[in-house]
Amino acid sequence: MRHKLDEADLAIVERLSLDARVSNREIAERLGVTEGTVRARVKRMEEEKLIRITAVTNIDRFKDAALAYIWIEVERSGQTKAVAEQLAGITELGFVGVMLGRSDILAITMVRNAEHLAEFVHQRISVVEGVRGAHSTLGVNFIKHDYRMARIVS
Amino acid sequence: MNDVSANTLSRHIDLDDTDQAIIQLLRKDGRMAYRAIARELDIAENTVRARVRRMEESNTMRVVAVTDTEAAGYGMLLAIGVQVEGRSPEVVAREMAAIPEVFSVNVVVGAQDIEILVVSKDQAALNELITDKLGAIPGVRRLTPALALDVLKNQPDWVPFHAA
Repeated sequence: MRHKLDEADLAIVERLSLDARVSNREIAERLGVTEGTVRARVKRMEEEKLIRITAVTNIDRFKDAALAYIWIEVERSGQTKAVAEQLAGITELGFVGVMLGRSDILAITMVRNAEHLAEFVHQRISVVEGVRGAHSTLGVNFIKHDYRMARIVS
Repeated sequence: MNDVSANTLSRHIDLDDTDQAIIQLLRKDGRMAYRAIARELDIAENTVRARVRRMEESNTMRVVAVTDTEAAGYGMLLAIGVQVEGRSPEVVAREMAAIPEVFSVNVVVGAQDIEILVVSKDQAALNELITDKLGAIPGVRRLTPALALDVLKNQPDWVPFHAA
């Protein structure tokens, strides 16, 4: 079990989740702690993978971008983990999870359109050893994604 | 969405190679100093500063802290398909988006009308979320959930900013 975040951590993260380019000094002044405290806590949280500070780009700003949910069924249940690990190595996939229900694995990616999705599944997913089949759903309107939360695994 | 107005088109922005290179570095380390980025890409520090500011101000890129859901106390992650009847999927989707545990909402085409990703602290909270909150939204016909047993990768670089 990983460490939980305490109140001071949460206050720092709250500030960083709005704009992580803010300086440690600015956060420190705002919270009434020392700059060293902020620096040490941010470092620890990053090292323990409790937070990740990263750039995100706005899907609304790009032409022809839609989110695709790809549900993958494996040949034999014993292959699920190996297939999921292979899929996690595909750069274009932003999410790979072993699922209980609906199908064996869920992979999420961004595509240009239905044709691009079909091509991606055919050329990149179906060729992975152990993949029996895949069915996909194409997003038409991306209403919300709270980028402040994710499973930090790598 | 057939209304391709000038306004819609102007929202799109083209990033050049320098912009992309800066984004790549910031994805790896969001707190990388402007100076270090400049050195890495062999460009002026002021250029880096200006590019980052332009991308931030045009709402194209943000540098943010992402909190691990497990560290935040959410032990469960589910992908739930939603079938809607008698109401517009968009309207139902927006009501779902207002629930904090629902962290991703997409209107889709196919067997489901909406795909959502949710987190939950435990089974009791999940029951409340699915039965009392999501299931009670008018227009929701059926919820088809799948529980994530293991998340191997979760690095969504592509997100909409407007509702997050």
